[in-house]
Amino acid sequence: MEQNAAISSKDNICAEGKVESKDILRILESHNKDRGGLISILEEIQSEYGYLPEEALRIVSERTGRSLVDIYGVATFYRFFSLQAKGKHLICACLGTACHVRGAPRIVAELEQQLTIKAGQTTPDKEFTLETVNCLGACALGPVVVIDGHYFSKVRKSKVKQLLEQAGEGFDKFDIGKDERIFPIEVSCPHCNHSFKDKTFAIDGYPCLKINVATDHQQGWIRLSCLYGSYSVSTEFEIPEGMVVNFICPHCNSEIHSTSDCSQCGAPMIPMLVDGGGIVSICTRRGCKNHMLDLV
Amino acid sequence: MSTVATAKLASLEELEALRSSIRVEQQKTQTTVALCCGTGCQAYGSGRLIEVFAEALAKEGLEDSVRVRATGCHGFCERGPLVVIHPKGTFYQRVGPDDVGEIVAKTVKQGELIERLLYVDPQTKEKAQTEEQVGFYKHQHRLVFGNNGAIDPKSIRDYLAVGGYAGLAKALSELKPDELIEQITESGLRGRGGGGFLTGRKWRSCREAEGEPKYVLCNGDEGDPGAFMDRSIMEGNPHSVLEGMVIGAYAIGSNHGYIYVRAEYPLAVENLGIAIRQAEELGLLGEDILGTGFDFEIRINRGAGAFVCGESTALMASIEGKIGDPRAKYIHTTDVGLFGKPSNLNNVETWANVPLIVNRGAEWFSSMGTEKSKGTKVFSLVGKINNTGLVEVPMGVSLRDIIYKVGGGIPDGRKFKAVQIGGPSGGCIPESLLDTPVDFEQLTELGAMMGSGGLIVMDEDTCVVDIARYFMNFLCEEACGKCTPCREGTKIMLDILGRICQGKGEAEDMDKLEALGEQVQLTSLCGLGTSAANPVLSTLQYFREEYETHVKDKRCPAGVCRQLITFSVTPEACTSCAMCVKACPVEAISGGTRKGKGKDRVRVPALIDQDKCIKCRACHEACKFDAVVIS
Repeated sequence: MEQNAAISSKDNICAEGKVESKDILRILESHNKDRGGLISILEEIQSEYGYLPEEALRIVSERTGRSLVDIYGVATFYRFFSLQAKGKHLICACLGTACHVRGAPRIVAELEQQLTIKAGQTTPDKEFTLETVNCLGACALGPVVVIDGHYFSKVRKSKVKQLLEQAGEGFDKFDIGKDERIFPIEVSCPHCNHSFKDKTFAIDGYPCLKINVATDHQQGWIRLSCLYGSYSVSTEFEIPEGMVVNFICPHCNSEIHSTSDCSQCGAPMIPMLVDGGGIVSICTRRGCKNHMLDLV
Repeated sequence: MSTVATAKLASLEELEALRSSIRVEQQKTQTTVALCCGTGCQAYGSGRLIEVFAEALAKEGLEDSVRVRATGCHGFCERGPLVVIHPKGTFYQRVGPDDVGEIVAKTVKQGELIERLLYVDPQTKEKAQTEEQVGFYKHQHRLVFGNNGAIDPKSIRDYLAVGGYAGLAKALSELKPDELIEQITESGLRGRGGGGFLTGRKWRSCREAEGEPKYVLCNGDEGDPGAFMDRSIMEGNPHSVLEGMVIGAYAIGSNHGYIYVRAEYPLAVENLGIAIRQAEELGLLGEDILGTGFDFEIRINRGAGAFVCGESTALMASIEGKIGDPRAKYIHTTDVGLFGKPSNLNNVETWANVPLIVNRGAEWFSSMGTEKSKGTKVFSLVGKINNTGLVEVPMGVSLRDIIYKVGGGIPDGRKFKAVQIGGPSGGCIPESLLDTPVDFEQLTELGAMMGSGGLIVMDEDTCVVDIARYFMNFLCEEACGKCTPCREGTKIMLDILGRICQGKGEAEDMDKLEALGEQVQLTSLCGLGTSAANPVLSTLQYFREEYETHVKDKRCPAGVCRQLITFSVTPEACTSCAMCVKACPVEAISGGTRKGKGKDRVRVPALIDQDKCIKCRACHEACKFDAVVIS
């Protein structure tokens, strides 16, 4: 019904880019050798204007001799075509089976909630259009969301808001994955809640964090910088680059168990509580700099 | 680069001469850095890696002696971006821009290994130095995908260097069309798009059909969600598809070909377009191919996002510029197809198999596989599986081997529940039947089908009723609306499944679903309708208990169906990190924080107010300590 309304209301269509008949003729010209190239013609018009303007379809009808009803039929049968102008930013969430079993419906629900529109709609300020697709063939990355041509893999619900904010400002301004803010944090053991702060030893000019580490053969302490973003460490014994070690709380002596795997090297990541609420997870592989901070 | 003339090759001898000269030239570069640029790896940032590699090599003055090759998909998408350094074949995974300098300085210059970039087998903890040592590749038999890692899909010279278009040369010079069809028939090659029709027989019917011109079509409308092997072939080795099509056209007696590609695959369209242009320039496509007098041209048609267009008659209607309506097939498309002329349609993977068979012979091909299903099949292994990616194995391998040996099992120590094979037209296969060998007949017998080869693995956290509802929703949306059983039947089945998921199911719903499913199967017009009930019928067959739990106990054992679950916090496991409190969008969680200072500091475990909870799972996802449980 919505699409019906769009094709009859000229104002709506002409509001965006102006349709020049010479552009449409050029597109038609380039396809005049194809038999039955209607779909290719419409695709090209859509890539030019972002949607199929009514005037353009009228010109196609006149020149090809196909009735407007026919063309309207094709334009509404295929999912790819739109009779309405789209928003500035196109968000496309994959709902393929692999993404579905990995929780894609919840990501779509969150996108819908954040944007206060339903899938297939455009925000009233014409900033965002939300679409779903039935498989992008990038199943290893699921759930996948593509925003303005940028692929985002293993999207979690908690990351949706941030993605939308970044999309609004444009991704080129951001270097995703590189956060250069540096600030001190105080962390404690997830089991006994005791702080790891060690005032007797400073790294980077701040009191460090001291935790016990163990390999198959050795045990000792490791002192980490408390500055988030700094990788300075000092260890009691030499840990070879690339080795994965176990972390043990110096207060309650229990091993800090991993809750996830490092997205960069696959080693276990261990969580520590951040004072004030939140978790910082660090990779247990010597030399791997992966870490994640989730603050309340 | 191209100092050798790119003029049209006028004979087979000229093709071989060009091939030798390319090989000589390529041997000059000792070291090649092959960088996977499939869609998966690109999404992980491999596009940027090319630039970084080029810069790093230029800095070391190695830009002329080391080649950076952007290849198609290597299949192991889970661990991308992937980098392979030849001649040793050193295999690095999850390579980031920060690693490039070290790779150039150590591995490229000195042949040293960088331990941390090697793949570590999660079970044996052994490090793999080359692709062959990785469990994921070790148990595969890569033929169609064999060259993906070795060639730049945008370079016909790479394809020629690995023996490309030799099959075409052989077909044109040594075999008559009838002998060629005979050879393909003998090889036992069957359609890889799902139907499994004998390719040679189809070719013969089309050859013998009356009417001119004849059309040769390639179905690249890979609509099954969860399947992406055709995309990876078109993107990674487009010339193999073209070569197959030219051979087929010669056998059938056709001069016009079309490739129909999904709109969602822009890279495939781009790479195929480049490949067609290159092949035309060398006279491997177009008029008077290799001076033999045989003409064949290929055009690319892009789809526009309609699943039903993967069906042969709908696909042809779509190429004609019409709505993708299927028609009844009492008249075969080999007699009356595209533009009303005899047409032969094969799927991408089928076409890519053709040059291999012509090169190595029917006997070689039929030595692989089972009695009725020959050769290899590419599966896309996705879902709850450790090694997501594309897997090529001989027919007859068991599902268990694919999932556990190649796929590395289920992540996070969860239990296997079912594997969905064949996309929306396929079925769910339970653990007890995992030892079934994969071939066309066996899978159909189990109520599933080969389909295009999507294998979606599900663990105990997947609800089969929800999956059945998902597929029914998909099919209901994609049904073209032409025939009543499919249009109305899928809608009613979807309504019933939706009701069950909401806890409003009734005792007779399961029987209703079965009866309706069988009706739709029997009476629908095209393949979409006749197989639409498969996901529902197969889950009912193997997981009826789970349906009953939904209907009778109003419970979802997998914890998926929103209306049938509750969330609660186990106080002993809660660390009071407050992550769930932060995540909750409706402020339904109290506590979850720590109070006091020093020794007096105590924890207050989180508590969920069931009246406020909207069951959005945010707390469950936020909790790193498994303290938020679903029941």
